[in-house]
Amino acid sequence: MIRITGGKIFDPANGINGQVRDLCIDGGKFVSSVIGGRTIDAAGMIIFPGGVDVHTHVAGGSINFARAMTPEDHRRTTAFIRTQSRRSGLGGMAPTTFATGYLYAGMGWTTVNEAAVPVLSARHTHEEMRDIPILDKTSCVLMANNEIFLDLLEAGEFERAKDVIAWHVWAAKAYGVKAVNPGGVAAWKWGKDAKQLTDPIEGYNSITPGTIIGRLAQIIDELGLPHPMHLHCNNLGAPGNVWTTLETMKLLEGRRAHIAHLQYHAYGGDDWDTMRSASAEVAEYFNTHTNMTTDAGAVLFGDTVTITADGPWQHLLYKLTGRKWGNLDVENETGCGIVPYTYRPSNLVNSIQWAVGLELLLLINDPWRIFLSTDHPNGACFWRYPEIIQLLMSYDFRKDCMTKLSPIARERITLPDIDREYTLYEIATITSAGPARALGLTQKGSLGIGADADVVIYEEEKDIAKMFSHPRYVLKGGEVVIEDGDIRATPEGREFIVKPSFDPEIESFLKPKFEDVYTMSFENYPVEMERLEHADIRECINGQAPSPPRTAEKEPDRADEGVEF
Amino acid sequence: MTCTLGEVKNRADFIVYWGGNPAECHPRHFTKYTLMQKSKFLPRGRKDRTMILVDIRETKSGGAADIFLQIRPGKDFEVLTILRAILKGQHVNSSIVAETGLTLEQMTDFIDRAKKARFGCMFFGMGLSMTRGKHMNSAALLTLAAELNAFTKFVAMPMRGHGNVTGADVIMRWQTGFPFGITFNRGYPRYNPGEFSTVDVLVRGDTDAALILGADPGATMPQPAIDHLARIPTIVLDPKVTHTSRLARVHITTSVAGISAPGTAYRMDEIPLPLKPALKSPYPTDEEVVRRINEAVARKPHWMPADGPMTIMQH
Amino acid sequence: MSLNVIHNATCTFCGCVCDDIELHSDETRIHEAKKACVLGKAWFLNHTADHDYPDALIDGREATVDEAIEAAATFLHDAHMPLIYGLSNTTCEAQREAVSLADRLGGLLDSHTSL
Repeated sequence: MIRITGGKIFDPANGINGQVRDLCIDGGKFVSSVIGGRTIDAAGMIIFPGGVDVHTHVAGGSINFARAMTPEDHRRTTAFIRTQSRRSGLGGMAPTTFATGYLYAGMGWTTVNEAAVPVLSARHTHEEMRDIPILDKTSCVLMANNEIFLDLLEAGEFERAKDVIAWHVWAAKAYGVKAVNPGGVAAWKWGKDAKQLTDPIEGYNSITPGTIIGRLAQIIDELGLPHPMHLHCNNLGAPGNVWTTLETMKLLEGRRAHIAHLQYHAYGGDDWDTMRSASAEVAEYFNTHTNMTTDAGAVLFGDTVTITADGPWQHLLYKLTGRKWGNLDVENETGCGIVPYTYRPSNLVNSIQWAVGLELLLLINDPWRIFLSTDHPNGACFWRYPEIIQLLMSYDFRKDCMTKLSPIARERITLPDIDREYTLYEIATITSAGPARALGLTQKGSLGIGADADVVIYEEEKDIAKMFSHPRYVLKGGEVVIEDGDIRATPEGREFIVKPSFDPEIESFLKPKFEDVYTMSFENYPVEMERLEHADIRECINGQAPSPPRTAEKEPDRADEGVEF
Repeated sequence: MTCTLGEVKNRADFIVYWGGNPAECHPRHFTKYTLMQKSKFLPRGRKDRTMILVDIRETKSGGAADIFLQIRPGKDFEVLTILRAILKGQHVNSSIVAETGLTLEQMTDFIDRAKKARFGCMFFGMGLSMTRGKHMNSAALLTLAAELNAFTKFVAMPMRGHGNVTGADVIMRWQTGFPFGITFNRGYPRYNPGEFSTVDVLVRGDTDAALILGADPGATMPQPAIDHLARIPTIVLDPKVTHTSRLARVHITTSVAGISAPGTAYRMDEIPLPLKPALKSPYPTDEEVVRRINEAVARKPHWMPADGPMTIMQH
Repeated sequence: MSLNVIHNATCTFCGCVCDDIELHSDETRIHEAKKACVLGKAWFLNHTADHDYPDALIDGREATVDEAIEAAATFLHDAHMPLIYGLSNTTCEAQREAVSLADRLGGLLDSHTSL
């Protein structure tokens, strides 16, 4: 039992904006009162619900490939030293599993969504997630390039395609469905790509990326998955791709969707020389279409390693940079590419990318529908989120940073003209309440009675990045895990999964198809339930899409004066 | 650039085995994963694929190859570099070609076929990675595969031998950031093959106790390394009393992975598969014994003082 | 006597890790390993559930597993630079425990890959 007294509460899920209230915790959840137990004096401090990352890459074959490709980075980064009770770890561009838990929790994030899981190696992803301490996890399984599924769409067998998706979600013990460059990854396996929604897909006659996107969104809504289709649009990273992105959004009208790392999909221009920000066009459309949520996929200057299931884009990066390139194609399902990368303010393309991520966060006016992400590790490592928060909360700081950009770069972006500054209430929305809501995790992102007691307590101070990098306390499930900069406990996390309903007969349909294309036994393919530690099966409402994203009402007046940031 | 074996089965119309002998070392590689399989994209199976075997001597695998390229021992790096030069249209000195054991025509033919393929795959074995040049050879082959992607889809994959060595590699990577050759002597993982790799450590005498499981170094390592294992307290976990057990202070008999011990093993392309033991062993599993040793060590004082630093920035 | 049959069993002999093997076994041994290659068949058929070896040996003398575990823990704990090596012919679950032990000991950790 814990009582947290005197803190200023920022709890957008319950409309609380800086009021001083006590929080009571028992059995890992918020309760209305407690008698006895520890009291944390949070007088003058700022209290947020624990952070929720809607899109990150922290476990599985691709990030583990990235770890193998960056030994030189492990040698120059933060090392977590082994203690009697805690495993050692290394931070950096692709942190080890234990360090991933420490680093996320260390800045107050307590739930993460691993955004790309190939079914074939889902077993591996779950094993790694078990070794990420403290955090609760969800994962999205990659389906949009699964050839059995595509063959069914080509044949017009929609109901059966729906059963195939549902079966795979359960086989992978996933929580949601991710679509990456629909049709394009399948084509990449022949060294080709599918850039536009109407492009034919190599190896197919009738279906296009547009067919796949529309059908998959419909299937996910009809299966009633709590998280909508998690879509990585076609034509990632290319100048002029804003048209593909807008076409995709139009196609999704009337459907729920989460558009991942929007920054990489909001470029104008015709080629690398004429590339410009198109965030204004994207934001304008997005602001008036409330069926969608998105995450920023923001870029920060500095070193990182890029990994994505979008093989064609990775090959392009390799050609642009001439640096190391790893590619991993997974039979029948997906592929991934890995390239170490440095974003530089002296580089025109990188400058535009940096600006576009921030512009989208600032121009999309509803914090319930755009969330903080860097598509870790692609745009920047997740442990740099406090820098982005500072950029969002301070126009002056943004102006300082923009002096590093070239005059040409400044002409190609709109960031200098945007003076919006985020409030703490809005930051709590884009880092916690909003992403929890988009994931359909009703007990997360809230400080209300009955919610999971995941809490961050900050000491208010003028240096925003410092304040958000070093919370005074972090509680996960009611347990103090971070206190005064030390890791106090490393409890195991939970995994949220779903079991959408499907016709069990689908297995006899799948088995021969499966054995045609795969090299493992059908019976050995589904991940066994006992491999997950602390699995928590969430409800699906079959035949009915959960409600569309919450949209912003007017922000309640802030209850206190607070520090002038 | 690599892929899972199913991608090869479904798509590869051009397959190279370099410095490996799958017919004898991985007998089902041809039949289950690569050459013999038919697929949607390669309906005639073997007839739709070309296979080139590169090795220093003709092995049983030669019988399955369309083309056998016999190169001189220790010339892998040179051959790979010439192939890259041909791919880029550069001039190649004929005296260098002569040293490799191949003709320029053979190598040009290799590149022509590789470029014309729809999906090419090169498998490389210990004959490449463990001979003169070692990791430089593997790097040259991987670079050739990367460069071929300018013309067509091309991947490369090592042929890993020993049982579940891939699992060890994968798990060490996610838990420590490194695949092998690790020390925790500062309280966090560091990596330096050559310094922290076992043969070097043993030959230098830089370890004063050893726990060996899933291997029998007493039968395979150089004599000076074995001599050091005999000098220090060595502990062996193995289903049999091995060469190493005989020089060890402690031997514990354990059950056999996949026969009498359950769990998981990784295939060479990093796909994890469940183990289904058929027998019930009278012995405990490796997992259980190592866990109990770990628990016993945990009851003793921790080697690092409790008031030491929690984190450090390395320099 | 009827044999116990396991479908889609996994062979860990070589890096192919074929998972389509059909094993027929009684209490003590595997009699048939369908679909396995020559190497895999030999691997499956050569192991038994018999108690062919002592449970444990300390300095060449038979000991109990408990005694051997305690002796192993003491040797490893007392060492300045203990080494954990091998990890090929074993399960991922044992490998995870071995990495954890090396981390606790502050020692060296290495696999067959370094050879």
